[in-house]
Amino acid sequence: MTLLASGPLIDWEWIGEHLDVIRAATVEHLQLTAIAVGIGFALSMALALLALQWRWSYPLLAGFCSVLYSIPSLALFGILVPITGLGTVPAVIALVGYTLLILLRNIVAGIEGVPAPVREAADGMGFEHWRRLARVDLPLALPAIIAGLRIATVTTIGLVTITAYVGLGGYGDLIREGLRRQSAPQASTLVILGTGLSVVMAVVFDLLFVGVEHLATPWARRPRLAPIEPMEPVPVAAIPAGGSLSDG
Amino acid sequence: MSDAAPAVADEADASPASGEPAPDVAIRLETLTKRYPGSAVPAVDHLDLTIPRGELVALVGPSGCGKTTTLKMINRLVEPTEGTVWIEGTDARTLPAHQLRRGIGYVIQQAGLFPHRTVADNIATVPKLLGWSRERVHERVDELAELLGLDADLLPRYPAALSGGQQQRVGVARALAADPPVLLMDEPYSAVDPIVRARLQDELVRLQRQVHKTIVLVTHDIDEAIKLADRIAILRAGGHLEQVGPPEELLRAPTSEFVADFLGDDRGIKRLSLITVDDVALREGPVVGMTDSPATARAVMADQGVDWVGVRDGDRLLGWVGAADLDGEPTLATAPRRPFRAVFTPGTTLKAALDGIVTSQTRVAVIEDDQRYLGMLTLDDLAEGVTEGSGEPLEAVGEDAP
Amino acid sequence: MGDAWSDMWTYLGSDAAWTGRNGLPLLLWAQLKLAFAAMAIATVLAIPVAAFLGHVRRGTLLAVSIVNIGRAVPTYGVVALVLPFSLRWGFGLGFWPTLVALVLLAIPPIFTNTYTGVRGVPADAVEAASGMGMRARELLRKVEVPAALPLILTGLRVSAVQVMATATLGAVVGYRCLGTPIVIGMQRQNKGPLLAASILVAALALGTDGLFALVQRLLVPWRRQPAS
Repeated sequence: MTLLASGPLIDWEWIGEHLDVIRAATVEHLQLTAIAVGIGFALSMALALLALQWRWSYPLLAGFCSVLYSIPSLALFGILVPITGLGTVPAVIALVGYTLLILLRNIVAGIEGVPAPVREAADGMGFEHWRRLARVDLPLALPAIIAGLRIATVTTIGLVTITAYVGLGGYGDLIREGLRRQSAPQASTLVILGTGLSVVMAVVFDLLFVGVEHLATPWARRPRLAPIEPMEPVPVAAIPAGGSLSDG
Repeated sequence: MSDAAPAVADEADASPASGEPAPDVAIRLETLTKRYPGSAVPAVDHLDLTIPRGELVALVGPSGCGKTTTLKMINRLVEPTEGTVWIEGTDARTLPAHQLRRGIGYVIQQAGLFPHRTVADNIATVPKLLGWSRERVHERVDELAELLGLDADLLPRYPAALSGGQQQRVGVARALAADPPVLLMDEPYSAVDPIVRARLQDELVRLQRQVHKTIVLVTHDIDEAIKLADRIAILRAGGHLEQVGPPEELLRAPTSEFVADFLGDDRGIKRLSLITVDDVALREGPVVGMTDSPATARAVMADQGVDWVGVRDGDRLLGWVGAADLDGEPTLATAPRRPFRAVFTPGTTLKAALDGIVTSQTRVAVIEDDQRYLGMLTLDDLAEGVTEGSGEPLEAVGEDAP
Repeated sequence: MGDAWSDMWTYLGSDAAWTGRNGLPLLLWAQLKLAFAAMAIATVLAIPVAAFLGHVRRGTLLAVSIVNIGRAVPTYGVVALVLPFSLRWGFGLGFWPTLVALVLLAIPPIFTNTYTGVRGVPADAVEAASGMGMRARELLRKVEVPAALPLILTGLRVSAVQVMATATLGAVVGYRCLGTPIVIGMQRQNKGPLLAASILVAALALGTDGLFALVQRLLVPWRRQPAS
């Protein structure tokens, strides 16, 4: 094994020549993220509605999602690949699995967080059930839901990098390629590029969601510093919405 | 003893939908019952009650008496197990619930304002549901803001920025927005502090004089009921109607031990809050002119059996002079004079006057109108006024009116 | 899936699984070693600094930023990122780059929770204690840290699970641990070792979480401080 020569850390020339590779990786990374968060959101919404209708199911559902979340990504891939083979399928399954817990918790917390007097007043004024859900419950649940989406998206962007090991691309592929080329000068470039771009994408989406949150909830106040909680089915009151990358 | 109901049917008020004439009865509760599964005793047990149009009827009783449940059966937030709610002659069940509720104003304890809508949007909620035009809605919001005493610059703000009292006002405005004939209020003032509560109650009284809504108000506070209601219905556990009638009647002649207890052992004094000074005959009292001599003053004191005398100058009552202060004074004008502490206007309640009498040194309440002396009241005058003013003396529990 | 399952049992039945350089016990031990080392270092680095900052009530911005940056940076990236530097500076593959990466990953939850916990100790308790004559160091040790214990333990727990999980990734930079059969298994379709190692790693992560939960319940028998 040859040691890395003392070349430049980042080979800008190489980057300039391979912009198409980078673009392809970006697109792939975005696609995977979008699919995973999209499916995860739909699934979590369904689970949340179930949990709200049948309260007893919530600890079960949340517990299941929590176990799923605790399994290391590489290990989860390892368990799925023998069943599904390599490629998009195990990747999406695993990525979706990781979004479920935070989304389920936040959706449920959001809808439960609608104050009872507000609901009663809405009913008393003559809102039909569906109209109340759409005009009152959902808008008020929105901050929590958007916060959940934000965390899920940022987390997923990070996890997509590991899908390189089930044969997919995205920025993880750049990193993996960089690790493979231990000697070549581009090795460090690739690794830094892959990691850096992933961080940039995460930050961009984080800011995007913060913006969406501010636009969608003109009446709400900023969330404050919250300690990190393990992702387990704690009582819904204890949702760490978390600060944002752009928070002061 | 439920309220006898209707007068002669008035054709103009007949409801076409049911053919049942509904003259001055806005709401009628007929054998209304609510049974919850798992509970042996019904929450509301065959309640019969009539709510006359344009009146404020208070449902009062201890916790668990079913007053809130009853209220909620009117707008069907709770569905009755048995019995019927007739609103303007129509069975409340014939309409879809949400439609029924758009025609009934609903005010709750914590206001329940939509945090995600501005104050103006909150008020505009039902009109928008009913499809009013934007201009009409806008006009109505402004109208209500003025009616409820809400500052115009509160309208574009969010409820979180308002004080508790302001929020309650918005809640009432919102309930009145579509001009419903009926207003339901569930302990609307229990969550605000006493000073704000008193103001809001006064505003409601004033409002009611202007809009004449049919209001059903639930409260556990008998004093609030006495202050606000035209008619009070006292309920016992299980929604049993103990007595219903105007506050004055209940206070004077409670029909059961329960009602008497609920009204409190200061029933007599509570009645005083229902009568004002102008209903009572005033007396001149021991008053002399400023130019009169001290001897005259002493004579008046002796004559009326008091140790002080009031001093007037034309129309104005200047103050009072004690017997001891007269000693050695050549004229009345030089004697040290003290101001009357208990001074009231004709619109004051007898209860306030009583408070003044009891706490003043002179044991009288002075009544003035714009600094013009009208007369004074003593304890005896009050007692007489209570019996004369409203016709009958206080009765012991269960006695029939003479 | 059926034959992957039987492959796994075949593998587990064989000698290769238990002996030699690629035997599961050795790989497991390597993973545990790494995880312990990383947690120990991260704890020693993070807790004192965070506790101090929490005590003087400064550094909220730092605590929030650390968390957010930590969430945005992919763990895989961190592990991979350290490698070029490690190679450059002569630390080679395998253990050291992975250790550094793991320490970096472990710090945020421990730091933030310790900071929030210490800072969140009710001011009147602190006042009472200093009124009794305690100096700052004693205060920290005897009052603030114990009061912050629930949150600190939570931070340690989250960190530990993350470290245990990410140690698996050490395999991609040449550290021979439980991740190795997984990565190789995916490349060469060795379903037996792949499945066996994956399940083992999953169990390890869940077990770590459970262990810390137990420790929390033992050390902090009163109700855990809820997040706000």
